[in-house]
Amino acid sequence: MIPQSHFLLLGAALFSIGIFGVFTRRNAIGILMSIELILNAANINLITFSKFSADPDASGQIFALFVIAIAAASAVVGLCLVISIYRTSKTILVNKINLMKW
Amino acid sequence: MMNGLIQLLNNYGLSYDIIIKASFYLIAGLTVLFALFVVLSRNIFHAAVYLAMGLLGIASVYLYLDAEFLAVVQVLIYVGAIMTLFIFTVMLTSDIIDTGPISGMFSRISVSALASLAIFFILTKVITMTAWKAVLPAEAAVSLSQLGKSLMLQYALPFEVISLISLAALIGAIVIGKAEKK
Repeated sequence: MIPQSHFLLLGAALFSIGIFGVFTRRNAIGILMSIELILNAANINLITFSKFSADPDASGQIFALFVIAIAAASAVVGLCLVISIYRTSKTILVNKINLMKW
Repeated sequence: MMNGLIQLLNNYGLSYDIIIKASFYLIAGLTVLFALFVVLSRNIFHAAVYLAMGLLGIASVYLYLDAEFLAVVQVLIYVGAIMTLFIFTVMLTSDIIDTGPISGMFSRISVSALASLAIFFILTKVITMTAWKAVLPAEAAVSLSQLGKSLMLQYALPFEVISLISLAALIGAIVIGKAEKK
């Protein structure tokens, strides 16, 4: 069988890639996509610990379900904000959105 | 059928275990590759398609963890619903190509790469240094009925809170996205 640490390493790799995307993307949609990667890395860790715990119960999978639900809600509101910003300032590049900046 | 297939593979010197392992590392590698494409591709539409591929890879990783319901939910909600929203938003806004000169872009990329590599190395070090317990037998999997009972009994209140959050997100999206009257 595949050892626990390899699943955790996959989660760590996806998390670091997501962090890199959040730092470097200029497009607001790209930043939201990187956040989805980070949330999925957290989900992999939750389900791994749920499977490999000494007394397996459903808690890890339940919380992964909650994370998916929250991610869906945040993606909906985030993308809606992106469209709203595009409507007012005609751009979604985050370095050009400086309306609030002095 | 399945036993015959395993027998056939055994004749070629391939055990079931080796095939499981090889397919897992192939899928995990492809998932990491797609994730890299998501953050590196210049075209945001291509990034969305690569993200869909990567989410499918993560759904198959859930199958290796005996979480079939989570895999189905992942495909339905992430690949089905959220990716559709992303692609719609990409098409409704301009700036699909994420290029163009920006001052200090190169140093920003290198500093971000350094920071994320540092995070990855710290996490790798922690994971490899920790003495994880031996792998449990396969019958320790969580069944779907156990999942449903736990969701309705032990986690009933968080479940209701999640439904309120979904309602709030729905109303918020309508209010924010509504076009202003001229």
